[in-house]
Amino acid sequence: MERKDITGIRDSYAGKSKVTVPYGSNCVRLSLADLIIVAVILLAIFSLTPVLWERAEKLEPSLDYRIPYDLSSDYWLYERYCRLACSRYETLIVGDSVVWGHFVSKDNTLSHHLNDLAGTTQFANLGADGTHPAALEGLLKYYGKDISDKSVILHLNPLWMTSLRHDLQTEKEHRFNHPKLVPQFMPKIPCYKASFPNRISTVVNRDVPFMNFRSHLNITSFQSMDIPAWTIEHPYENPLGAVTFHLPASDDYERPKDAPRPGRGPGQTALQWVELETSLQWLFFRRSVELLRKRNNRVFVLVGPFNEHMFDADSIDTYRKMQVEIETWLRRNNVLYYMPETLPVHLYVDSSHPLGKGYAEIAKQLLENASFKSNILSSDGSAAD
Amino acid sequence: MLFHTWVFVLFFLIVYPIYLALKGTRFRLYWLLAISYFFYACFNPLYLILITYSSVLDYTVVAIMSKRGRRKIWLSISIINNLVLLGFFKYAGFITDNLNALLSSLNVSYVLPAPGIFLPVGLSFYVFQSMSYTIDYYRGNVERQTSLIRYATFVSLFPRLLAGPIERAKNLLPQLKKKPVVSIQDVSDGLSLFIVGLFKKVALADYLALYVDKIYSTPDRFQSLALILATFLFCWQIYFDFSGYTDMARGIARMMGFRLMLNFNNPYLATSLGEFWSRWHISLSSWFKDYVYIPLGGNRKGKFNTYKNMFLTMVISGLWHGAAWTFIIWGAVHALGRFCTRELEATSFYKEKVPRIIKQMFVFVFVTFAWIFFRAESIGDAWIIITRIFTSGFADPRCPVLALALIFTVWLYQFAYESRLRWLLELRAVRIGIMILMVLYLALFAPSSQQPFIYLQF
Repeated sequence: MERKDITGIRDSYAGKSKVTVPYGSNCVRLSLADLIIVAVILLAIFSLTPVLWERAEKLEPSLDYRIPYDLSSDYWLYERYCRLACSRYETLIVGDSVVWGHFVSKDNTLSHHLNDLAGTTQFANLGADGTHPAALEGLLKYYGKDISDKSVILHLNPLWMTSLRHDLQTEKEHRFNHPKLVPQFMPKIPCYKASFPNRISTVVNRDVPFMNFRSHLNITSFQSMDIPAWTIEHPYENPLGAVTFHLPASDDYERPKDAPRPGRGPGQTALQWVELETSLQWLFFRRSVELLRKRNNRVFVLVGPFNEHMFDADSIDTYRKMQVEIETWLRRNNVLYYMPETLPVHLYVDSSHPLGKGYAEIAKQLLENASFKSNILSSDGSAAD
Repeated sequence: MLFHTWVFVLFFLIVYPIYLALKGTRFRLYWLLAISYFFYACFNPLYLILITYSSVLDYTVVAIMSKRGRRKIWLSISIINNLVLLGFFKYAGFITDNLNALLSSLNVSYVLPAPGIFLPVGLSFYVFQSMSYTIDYYRGNVERQTSLIRYATFVSLFPRLLAGPIERAKNLLPQLKKKPVVSIQDVSDGLSLFIVGLFKKVALADYLALYVDKIYSTPDRFQSLALILATFLFCWQIYFDFSGYTDMARGIARMMGFRLMLNFNNPYLATSLGEFWSRWHISLSSWFKDYVYIPLGGNRKGKFNTYKNMFLTMVISGLWHGAAWTFIIWGAVHALGRFCTRELEATSFYKEKVPRIIKQMFVFVFVTFAWIFFRAESIGDAWIIITRIFTSGFADPRCPVLALALIFTVWLYQFAYESRLRWLLELRAVRIGIMILMVLYLALFAPSSQQPFIYLQF
């Protein structure tokens, strides 16, 4: 092989035909040593940038802090808050929008009322909007690694088992929240029809920390768009100028009205419950329990309370049977749990979301529960740190 | 499975170590063929029937020629077979549409049914490559390939299968014949090429596409400046897209010990249209020159015949790109441009007095104008764009400044590359710095949606 210059514009190979093949039409030709230098510098940049970013972008959560609604898909921030919450609070409450408090302000959530009624600073709200059990398992698995050696209240919302659709079991594709958190290959989720390349891409992006940081940047500074798409909307703005190092507050979102959703009216809705044995969401919930326990956490499961006032007698009967099955599994596996009775109808917004007074009632019931008191509530009634 | 996807990275990470382990053995060709066919089957397993058929037929034709003499009949069989394949899969719809339009204009109520055939990806490229082998053998320019496996690998080699470069037998077959040597420099060269190509495709082409697609999808809603800028951006989009693909293909091949030909050589620095075609899609331009233009008579039979041959070659080249009148017009516009500029370029005034930069700008503006026909959805749209460029107002085009800045940075780089300042770009620190910036840009700024390569549709 012969080369005339560094960029090797005439670079022949040792073939009989003596055909010369130019290397390229630019000078970006690197040796292995050059590439190693590039790799080292990039590795340093990719590792340090998120760390330095955390210093510039202040996250100083109050006791009632919850991940801002618009940042529900910002898993990098969730991971960061998780780390912070684990270092500050003894008990973390994990779950979907019921834990997060979709219809209430941050000072009316379950964690707030637990802290308030117990007179502690023990409980942190680690709920994330839209995290059905399949997504919640992914959230804990990939972004909740810091949750170890803690007490965790894991909420089970029966809503996710009220139909094949909620249970992600329809063969027809339907979009659901947080598809990037669910298992991409096994177990198979029938309604998830992403292409093979997309699934691979999701797996890679999930496992490369810098990609999560990039996603955070897009969500917080570029209206959840990637930067090229953002510049199409803002053609004359400097993308660097859009970076403010400012996170929105927990309640910077338009809260839905505290009113029941229009429907057939109380006591008339029939639910097509899935069998617990075949339920995907129940499977993922169990896996979440196992994952948390494997990380040496003390898990306390809170089931419901579901708004039974909305449903017909058959649906409630089936729900009762399901509750027994859930209870059996929890007991058999020595998982601490509490199943509050359904709340008065006026304390609900919809089938599963309580109003502020509803959260207060659940908190009260929890604090009166012997198992909760002896296993979760800290004896001195103060913060861990 | 496109080069700029994680699936491809995964595929390559699996097949490459095995290839390195086998490259010194007789199994290397079997492995290369197997992974090339697997790569192709990922798009549609049925495509394998077509590529196998094409490879076997041309291999057999040459085998027969080697025994019974280089007779035209065998060459004709190969050429007709390849052109029928191309015609059937690529042009059946176009021909049917035009026949129906003709029947309708003649008030004939009969409508030919739409063939509903899809174009197998890469067909235009590997059919041309295979055809060049039979022609070259007929002309005595290459030796007969005795191994069918090697020949099938030559046709299907996965880095260049989808969109070229259209390799010649005399370049690639000898490389397949000998045991490849993969040096460390080959691997780093290949990686360098791949990253540059990835940057061109993902960071530049896919970004520019966002603006171009917006404007070109409804050109009647936009005014002059937006249409001019969209055309300017498309001019670069297609360059970044195709040359990015080629860089990646060449990089992958190089990591495997193969040298694929240079397909793009900074075409927007050309000082004449003739030079443009020796810098743009070089493998196709030289293919048309060797197998169409010269056999037609080239420039040997006087001015009229030269222009006639040039015109035919350019129109056929346009038609190769796509079965639509817009591509034919694009080829014709380039042919007309060549007629006009060829005479001008021959004058001593143009040669000596006109500054190089003016010539480059002139060629660039002409080529950019011609791209309108290439990109427009229809002739009607192309006409709307051209008329609105000259007649509509100058409303705010809302073209991202970042996109323009990126284009001018690349352009400036290319100018420097072909100037006395090239030594600056060759400095180690500069090369390393550029590579770091490209990867950083890819990691932070690249669009999240992946667009297919433009040339895959051809």
